[in-house]
Amino acid sequence: MSAAAAIAIDRVSKRFALAGSEEGVLALSELSLSIASGEFVAILGPSGCGKSTLLRLVAALEQPTAGTVNVNGAAPNLVSAHHALGVAFQDHALLPWLSVRDNVALPFRIAGRRVDEPAITRLLELVGLGRFADARPKQLSGGMRQRASIARALVLEPEVLLLDEPFGALDAVTRRQMNVELQRIWSARQITTMLITHSVDEALFLADRVVVMSGRPGRILREVKVPFDRPRDPSVMRSEAFHHLVDDLTEALET
Amino acid sequence: MKQSLLGALGTAIFLALWEALGRSGVLGISWPPLSDVLAMLADENRWPLFGRALGATLASTALGYCWGTAAGLALAMLAHLLPLLRRGSDRLAAVLNSVPSIALGPIFLVLLSRESTPAAVSSIHVFFIVFVSVSSGLARATPAHRDLFAVLGADRLKRFRRLELPAALPSLVSGLRLAWPAALIGAIIGEWFGAPRGIGILIINAMQNFQIVLLWCAVVLAVGSSLFFYGVLTMLERATYERFG
Repeated sequence: MSAAAAIAIDRVSKRFALAGSEEGVLALSELSLSIASGEFVAILGPSGCGKSTLLRLVAALEQPTAGTVNVNGAAPNLVSAHHALGVAFQDHALLPWLSVRDNVALPFRIAGRRVDEPAITRLLELVGLGRFADARPKQLSGGMRQRASIARALVLEPEVLLLDEPFGALDAVTRRQMNVELQRIWSARQITTMLITHSVDEALFLADRVVVMSGRPGRILREVKVPFDRPRDPSVMRSEAFHHLVDDLTEALET
Repeated sequence: MKQSLLGALGTAIFLALWEALGRSGVLGISWPPLSDVLAMLADENRWPLFGRALGATLASTALGYCWGTAAGLALAMLAHLLPLLRRGSDRLAAVLNSVPSIALGPIFLVLLSRESTPAAVSSIHVFFIVFVSVSSGLARATPAHRDLFAVLGADRLKRFRRLELPAALPSLVSGLRLAWPAALIGAIIGEWFGAPRGIGILIINAMQNFQIVLLWCAVVLAVGSSLFFYGVLTMLERATYERFG
């Protein structure tokens, strides 16, 4: 494991209890993965392969049954207690009674820090919600809600950004747009990022490295370095090399 | 719009039926025509009597409502923050609710004064409704919201203040709406244990002296005031759901 690893997952297994079953369900088996500081890694896998569990371990929402998870050398629960994790789920989890601006300000309030209004304004501009700062979540479209949730994930300038299928509930067109936006936003910050997705295109377009997982128990099947330079233009998705990698990874997913 | 028209039509039919049945006398003299009841309510000479009775009952209701709400809120919040208390407080509330207020009346009479028994019985009714609604409201935050607060490093108090309490508001306000009629019933029952004045006293006196129209006046006053506050609280509830639901 390299010293520069921002996220170090070392021979982690996770077993869930299951009613009526002695041994339960083995969601992850002896999985090791290291994500370097400033690296964007996409975890790709079929549903139920334990990729969300992997993210939840890094987010300290679950504890491993065996093995260790470290974030910048510390246990994940210490990192979250220091308000150094940014997270966006498939469920935007915006608070319906707060405006967009107040939702994005929430991490400051939870961390007990002074709300940096100019930073929030800049961030809302960056995610294209400048005009909707005072709107309530229910007044926004699905894509706009996800943008707000990503702005909220970024607002404390976290050490690590965890994205659990943030665009999973969006339609294909909006999803592609959001990928382009996220790529632009990420290029401006370059935060260590772990993205969980089942979309091959999304993984290849956004990540520096794509990790393919197999299901039950979750293991790493393949790792692919993504060769495209940054910033990436959407036209890269039409290139020969991109299509080749998509075919390659799709095949890996199906085995 | 159509619904409120239908509602108005239904109410009008009900009132007309009441009047017709009273006029015909098929239900005996204990069912007076509505117009007789309204005429007595409109009689200025009776207003001081009605005013004193309604004022006393509403004062007891409001007092019991406030105390019951405060107690229900406090216990529900305490039980939520201190899981150790949770089961005990659930049982306490259930036991208190299962004791008929008629049985509690004499105890309050001994412990408190005749004047404060109506508010005390009323507060017991309100306490239970508010306790149940706040307890269930505090559990209403979604798993995604809880996950978010955990990852953002929120401690229990921050989660309580910024997530669970606002998420519980719609449920609390629904409880407050349902609690008002219960508070009024509590106050009227409490008055039967010897309060100096109130709608409950008016009802008993009218009944014992066979003043049927006066009895109906007391009932109409109780129902009317209950509906009025219920309506106000329903509007508050709608506004809360709009904002927090």
